[in-house]
Amino acid sequence: MKWLLFAWKNVLRNRRRALMAQSIIAVGTAAVLVGGGYALYSYSALRELAAHENGHVIVAERDYFGGDEDVPMQHGLPGATALSRSLRALPGVRGVLPRIQFSGLISNGDKSAVFVGTGVLPDAEFRLRGYQLNFIAGEAFASGTSVPEIALGGDLARQMKAKPGSSLTLLATTTEGSLNAVDVVVRGVVSVGVPEIDKRLVLADVAAVQKLLLTDKVSTLSIYLDKTPATDAVAAQIRAEHPELAVRTWLDLAVFYQAVRALYNRIFGMLGIIMLVIVLFALANTLGMAVAERTREIGTLRAIGTLPREIVRNFVLEGVVIGGSGAIAGMLIAAAVTVFLSFAGVQMPAPPGRSAGYPLLVQFSAGLYAATGAAIVAASALAAYWASAKAARRPIVEALAHV
Amino acid sequence: MPIGPEEAHPAGPAATAVRLSKVSKSYGAGSTRVQALRSVDFELRAGELAALTGPSGSGKSTLLNLCGLIDSPDSGEREIAGVAVAGRTETMLTRLRREKIGFVFQGFNLVPVMTVFDNVEYPLLLLGVPAPERDVRVRGMLARVGLGGFDRRVPDALSGGQRQRVAIARALVKSPALVIADEPTGNLDSATAAQIVDLLRELAHERGAAVVVATHDERMTGRCDRVLRLVDGALQ
Repeated sequence: MKWLLFAWKNVLRNRRRALMAQSIIAVGTAAVLVGGGYALYSYSALRELAAHENGHVIVAERDYFGGDEDVPMQHGLPGATALSRSLRALPGVRGVLPRIQFSGLISNGDKSAVFVGTGVLPDAEFRLRGYQLNFIAGEAFASGTSVPEIALGGDLARQMKAKPGSSLTLLATTTEGSLNAVDVVVRGVVSVGVPEIDKRLVLADVAAVQKLLLTDKVSTLSIYLDKTPATDAVAAQIRAEHPELAVRTWLDLAVFYQAVRALYNRIFGMLGIIMLVIVLFALANTLGMAVAERTREIGTLRAIGTLPREIVRNFVLEGVVIGGSGAIAGMLIAAAVTVFLSFAGVQMPAPPGRSAGYPLLVQFSAGLYAATGAAIVAASALAAYWASAKAARRPIVEALAHV
Repeated sequence: MPIGPEEAHPAGPAATAVRLSKVSKSYGAGSTRVQALRSVDFELRAGELAALTGPSGSGKSTLLNLCGLIDSPDSGEREIAGVAVAGRTETMLTRLRREKIGFVFQGFNLVPVMTVFDNVEYPLLLLGVPAPERDVRVRGMLARVGLGGFDRRVPDALSGGQRQRVAIARALVKSPALVIADEPTGNLDSATAAQIVDLLRELAHERGAAVVVATHDERMTGRCDRVLRLVDGALQ
């Protein structure tokens, strides 16, 4: 404690210089924490987005994910109702949604366009992932209506000149290879925020789609969990209980999430490294000047019995005091920015390939703060060692004669 | 505060504090080589105050540095408080200085950010003396050098004479066998200088420490127990 007190007093010898070093460290620390917090928020948001879009665990027929289909639903999953009931009984499972991926032509009588559709159980689907579907017009459709109802992507609705209440026709190839058609009514117009998808999107009742494709199979069963971290455990349990099925997790299918994470890890990792290098040089410079100014004092302390490593330790403590106090200041700045952004409602522009922006938020992470603080303190200690090691071993007579 | 016998150097008043045998030291090489000390034999007993005099360049500082183990000779043997120095590593020499040698410098060389108390306490911290004992010894030492009540001041708030008293207290607080004082009165007026030398002599006698004082001041030498004169690197 006494040595730490001496270190603190030595830091205060040249307050302006110490303050400058602390300011550099504080700004750098805040930059790393805000940038890292933004990345963590992005990971979290994209993780939940991916998990809610596909389900936490996705179950399909063994060849579904790898094989090409000669006819629709060739690798469809039979007995979905019974399987769904057994999966819903697993602990931590919030819901199981059957889905059918299908495609074909959509027509308003005058004009046709290609669509990419998903057959869903509307009530459960809109309840579980409703916030991801932004209804531009109309509302969620229901199942079991006399004329099947659908929801259209915004751009596709514009192409088809459709609005809620409009009648359209869906044409698709059946499981037998023939063409089939069904008349539908538009109940809602939605946007998922990705123009390329909104241009082709059709959501329809799974029963109506099965009727269109002449099948009783579904493409996949999407399993929604109470907690995302339980994903791997539930997936493992399903694999063990149903070895005949192909089981994927949301992470396996979240290509965008993985790409963003890889990119951000590199960007913010590089930012962290640059920050550490700046800390290293700022402190080495500050303490290097202090060491030069105190050469005679070092000689005196060595003469009266201080070991070189004890001299170095004293400077390392000074580095830790400067680095630690700068890091704490940086953490306070970052925390203030985090709180400010959570209330300010700042919007980021739409990312490439998206039609909507998103809120600029920074996630607070105790782990990130602790790791950054530890890295700054370690870099400070290293800089202090670097600056003082040679001077501590300088011949005493030479150090005492230093002017 | 009187110094108790338990604080006196364990070697006792009659022991040899420092012994140099045929010590030589030179600087430079070839045509620029300077012989600073020539086969010097020198011995100082515990409790003795010796003045080391001589003209500039006579080798006084070199001799002090060798006695204080902060420089090494080209040849010859050294012994501090009965401990032979030859063959010891730098770490061992540092520990020997830490335990057995105190230093008083012409420029005081106090640590400016430390208080008077901290400066005097520092050698005891290095020795790992427990805090309560440190407190007693530092306060006793400060009282002995006439600086009781000055413990919370920083060196910059003291006069030159007071600073040198702090330096003396720092040198003697650990009860060393030997105190090296290089021109300790060089920055002081005559009256203060006389007081400092008297203080050094008293403490040397009280604590059983040998003190070797390098000085140019002939008025100081009369206050010392012995006077050693160096001329051209040789003791006369």
